[in-house]
Amino acid sequence: MALTAFRKLRTKFDWPLFGAILAIVAIGLVNLYSATRVAPKGLYQNQLVWFSVGGVLFMVTAASDYRLFERLAYAIYGVGIVLLIAVLIGGKTVKGSSRWLGFGPFGIQPSELAKIAVIMGLAKLFAGDPMDLALRPWRYLLSALALMGVPMLLIMKQPDLGTALILYLIATTIIMVVSLQLHVKLITLGGELLVGTVFFLFKLHGYQKKRLLTFIDPSLDPSGAGWHARQAIFAVGSGRWTGKGWLHGTQNQLQFLPEHWTDFPFAVFAEEWGFVGCAILIGCYLFLILWALNLAAEARDRFAETLCVGCAALLFWHVFFNIGMVAGILPVVGVTLPLISYGGSSLLTVMVCLGLIMNVSIRRYSY
Amino acid sequence: MTKSRLTPRAKGTHAPPRRFAWAQVSVAACFLVLIGRLYQLQVMSGEYYMRKSADNFVKELELPATRGQIRDSKGRVLVDNRPAYNVYITPRFFNTDGLTKLKKYLELSDDQATALEVKIASKRGLDRFRQMLAFEDITRDQMALLESEKNDLPGVAVQAVAHRNYPHGQLAAHVLGYMNQITPEELADRRQRADTLNYHLGDYVGRAGLERQWESFLRGKDGIERIVVDAKGQRKDSAELETLLGGPQRSEPQPGNDLVTSIDLDLQEATEAALAKHKAGAAAVVEVDTGRVLALASWPEPDPNVLTGRLTRAEAAALNDDPLRPMMDKALRENYFPGSTFKIVPTIAALEDHLVDPDAIITCYGGLRFGKRMFHCAETHGKLDLHFALAESCDVYYYELGQTLGLDRMARVARDLGYGEPTGIGLNAESPGLVPSMDFYKRMPGGFQKGFLLNTAIGQGDVKATVLQVAMAYAAIANGGKLWVPQIVERVQSPDGTTLQEFPPRLRRQIAASADTLQKVRSALHDTVNHPKGSAWAARVPGLDVSGKTGTAQVGKNHKEGAEGDENNSHSWFASFAPSQKPEIAVVVLVEHGGFGAKASAPTAMEIYEAYFHKPHYELPKKKRPAHQDEEQTAATDEATTQTAAAAAPSGEWH
Repeated sequence: MALTAFRKLRTKFDWPLFGAILAIVAIGLVNLYSATRVAPKGLYQNQLVWFSVGGVLFMVTAASDYRLFERLAYAIYGVGIVLLIAVLIGGKTVKGSSRWLGFGPFGIQPSELAKIAVIMGLAKLFAGDPMDLALRPWRYLLSALALMGVPMLLIMKQPDLGTALILYLIATTIIMVVSLQLHVKLITLGGELLVGTVFFLFKLHGYQKKRLLTFIDPSLDPSGAGWHARQAIFAVGSGRWTGKGWLHGTQNQLQFLPEHWTDFPFAVFAEEWGFVGCAILIGCYLFLILWALNLAAEARDRFAETLCVGCAALLFWHVFFNIGMVAGILPVVGVTLPLISYGGSSLLTVMVCLGLIMNVSIRRYSY
Repeated sequence: MTKSRLTPRAKGTHAPPRRFAWAQVSVAACFLVLIGRLYQLQVMSGEYYMRKSADNFVKELELPATRGQIRDSKGRVLVDNRPAYNVYITPRFFNTDGLTKLKKYLELSDDQATALEVKIASKRGLDRFRQMLAFEDITRDQMALLESEKNDLPGVAVQAVAHRNYPHGQLAAHVLGYMNQITPEELADRRQRADTLNYHLGDYVGRAGLERQWESFLRGKDGIERIVVDAKGQRKDSAELETLLGGPQRSEPQPGNDLVTSIDLDLQEATEAALAKHKAGAAAVVEVDTGRVLALASWPEPDPNVLTGRLTRAEAAALNDDPLRPMMDKALRENYFPGSTFKIVPTIAALEDHLVDPDAIITCYGGLRFGKRMFHCAETHGKLDLHFALAESCDVYYYELGQTLGLDRMARVARDLGYGEPTGIGLNAESPGLVPSMDFYKRMPGGFQKGFLLNTAIGQGDVKATVLQVAMAYAAIANGGKLWVPQIVERVQSPDGTTLQEFPPRLRRQIAASADTLQKVRSALHDTVNHPKGSAWAARVPGLDVSGKTGTAQVGKNHKEGAEGDENNSHSWFASFAPSQKPEIAVVVLVEHGGFGAKASAPTAMEIYEAYFHKPHYELPKKKRPAHQDEEQTAATDEATTQTAAAAAPSGEWH
């Protein structure tokens, strides 16, 4: 059984997908080397370990038949929720948020894995009888919102606004792309906007609100949250056409960029490689996401289709939010750049996602 | 595995649904926005952000220039610089424990500690990593203490800097001036005017006296060193990074130039020692042949060492509220009634315009009834002519003379002698004084009244003069009518001693008075001190040949004197020069509320002359004096006149 799966993996291997992944991984490793030169010692080595683990995870995810995941979808979702509750009870508190569950020297963030859990859960939900889906769309929709809402609330409790936002965006993207009637989609979107506004006005922490407001008007806080954003823009802009050269980014090397190996590695990349480098990197991401959406369209069944859409949405929103934040067109929220940012949980999540896309790709024609 | 739940989509039966295409278009559109934004930042505004990032890591270190020294005429140092220790704090690394320790070691008051706390708390972002100046000029002991406790004081650094030093304490405080930090407003103002002196926040700037007036000569030019720093402000020494700097990395500071003044340290010390016997006053010593100021003093005076640096609010308040006004330069800025020292003006006017017969006798009965008012004289002088009227300082004679002369005639002579306009010394915004004329009174609400003539003739009423003005006028009388511009800076020299600029004596004008007139005035001034009837006879010192004029400027109700310093007491003047035959210096002393001129001011002036002529360590200036043949001649006539006058006087009256 396992042997067949790996043979299939070899014969039907999606080389363009893999090529794009490899390109981004290479860029990520080269860039992280520069970004972590001034970081605490050992970060780069840690990340190499995570990459090995991630590589294995990618192979395993890609090789296993996704129907196994379909059967286990709600169980996986359940494990995700349990971990989120566990982190609230016994998580490590870093900078005022409890996001981490410790396993020996490496900690993981359950909120990252929750993204996979929600994608699985939603894929399973929308894989039901299409007649039923068409007849009772609101029932499915409410279930979908519940599947999204529970982990979202748990994550906001940590609090981790960035991840909750990404979770919301992924779920909404899935709802927008699955085969539901147009008016159902529009009403959902409108309702979400309303809830979002109320939430911003009444439930957001002061500092979170301030961060968003500072984005709208940076002069509100020239040296606090706004300062980080401005330094990132200086870094990006000063890269000009071809960049200052690898290891020669002054904003990076002289530590003018805040947390540049987790949230701002793109600023390091943009500074050292310039517009040309950025265009190539964004091109790679674009190819990857469009390819994943193609695979969704060609997928053999509805579960695979939704799974692919969800994984593509995860990649897209991470890339769009991270680069948008660095380039100053989106507020500063802690969202990582897939395969480029430092961090184990984020990397493993992305690797699983890519594994799932590969999985669907391999199994799209034959059964 | 419930296969019924799976809904396989038959491959190739229909085209993929539109919704995926829409999703792809949306993704592409969003990424296009990102690319567009990056194009805008990196390509369109790339140069701008390049400069911005360069501003981040290039830090310009100021290399402060050494300020020039101020020296006396013999090259002795009046103002220099000394090493001082400043305390700097980096807020990011500082803690409350450190604050408690600093408070103890530096003996701070609660207010100071709170102020520091507030200052530290106000720093945000990158500023928290930058050193800020916390305390200036701590003592050596405090510095040693802080250095030894260094490890327990994170974020605290002590640095040696040059601090302005006035080695003679308060000596010549008003001449030398003082310094303090430039304010942010002044800085903005100077930047706007594209000031070349290039000040930075925290720089000291001259606030008074020579320090202020000669700021641009003394200051020098700060050097700059460009270094690479990281976000914490820490210097990065690496060849790779230094290539980022481009351009020259260091320009050396150019030290300021030294001033050599005409002040004589010994004479200044003697002048202030003499003046310090009184509560408040001023004195000026001027070289009559050049107009150079040898000593200039205002008493009491603040210590510029205290003013330059850590002046507490209490100290500042004490200086400003002191009734003796130590912050006021009484030699240049304060106007006084010149009192009887002004009588030279009507005297010259009378002689020049031949309006009175100098030998005509007027009898003083101790006062003059004018209209409904009684104008008093200091005493009942009896019969006297012009010569003795001046020597004995008889007011009644001058009341009559004033009426004869009229206001404008006196004003003309007064202005000619330099009264009523600034002397041009260019220090401390000197007061112009005031000479009333008919025009002046026409503009006044009450208009002109005849009584003003009487008051003006004796230097009261509306006549105002500064001590230096009187000194310049008496120097002109002494030197044969040359009114000099008083000079205090003889030359500017570079730190290595090369003369850069010299300032030769500057003549303001030759006054319009004949040699004969001046001779008559000098002769009367000689008798003021040297004739038993003269008003300063009591103050004469054997061995000193002084000519002068007393003055008792009435400022309160006392016609007779009370205790010195009583605010109703008159101000005491003595304006003089010596030696009488070949005058070298003019000395003018004013003692506030000192009473009669002969009692308070004249002895003070005599002490100054003694210092000038007799102090063993005082070297007489060996300057080649211009030959005054006419003076020799007039000196001879002088004696003759004196004798004649004495002979002409009714016998028994004088001796």
